[in-house]
Amino acid sequence: MTIQMMSVLGAAFGLAIVAFASALAQGFATGKAVEGISRQPEARGPIMTALIIGMSFIESLTLYALLVAIILIFVNPFK
Amino acid sequence: MESAHIGVHPLWHLYGWTFHSDTLISAWIVTAVLLSFAIFIRTILQMRPGLLQSTVELGVDSINGILVERMGEKGRKYFPFVATLFLFIICSNWLGILPFDLKPPTADLNTTAGLAILTIILVQAFGMIEKGPIRYFKRFFEPHPLFFPLNVIEEMAKPLSLSVRLFGNIFGKETIIVILSGLVALPLIYPIPILALSLLIGAIQAYIFMLLSIFYISMALEGH
Repeated sequence: MTIQMMSVLGAAFGLAIVAFASALAQGFATGKAVEGISRQPEARGPIMTALIIGMSFIESLTLYALLVAIILIFVNPFK
Repeated sequence: MESAHIGVHPLWHLYGWTFHSDTLISAWIVTAVLLSFAIFIRTILQMRPGLLQSTVELGVDSINGILVERMGEKGRKYFPFVATLFLFIICSNWLGILPFDLKPPTADLNTTAGLAILTIILVQAFGMIEKGPIRYFKRFFEPHPLFFPLNVIEEMAKPLSLSVRLFGNIFGKETIIVILSGLVALPLIYPIPILALSLLIGAIQAYIFMLLSIFYISMALEGH
């Protein structure tokens, strides 16, 4: 197994793990937000804003992993 | 295979500088479209708005509403900056679905990093103008002077996360479209759901970039 193949595998597994965790976290966040909206429909606007900001912070960690995966596949430092 | 071209930009070399020509041309096109739209809207302004003017006024009102909700009446003066960010990013993101060989400028890390660094520098400037430099820099030493390195790292992480978030979303979408178009069977059918999704992604990412800019500005303005 060359180091190139190992980098591709690492990128794929890293992204899979991170996508799993981030999907879980975003699911929790959306569930709680929907609960809040259904309990108090007039607070929809602020809840949506807080949800979107929180989602973007969760997502940014996934995207750091995506950046690492892109670097590993396209600009591999071990080439 | 097509996917070999992902992330490769045609280059222009000029006076020792290197430019990504596709990004540059698309950014110019977006700027030209936005400028001509703005000038056109100015010429048709009237007291009883038509459909187009009503739509634009609705957008202006909703962005102003977000600003006033977070910062009060003084938030209105940041409207031009955040609205320009929103319009530029949403037009750039949607450029990718037009049937021309144009790449969205936001699928290039240089564009998004430029926008994010501009935003963070302006946030510091707004904070200093609003509160005065000394009162502004006190923010970095709170709640205790020992927190200074943490606060600086937090400030540095903002442009990184802003730029990587926008770039990652748009670049990932472009990559999926290229890979799906490279499939042997039905290369014209498979990308359609992703294209529909990309409209949503583009709008949401532009909204998030604007919302986080407003959030950072309001964080720089508030305090003691």
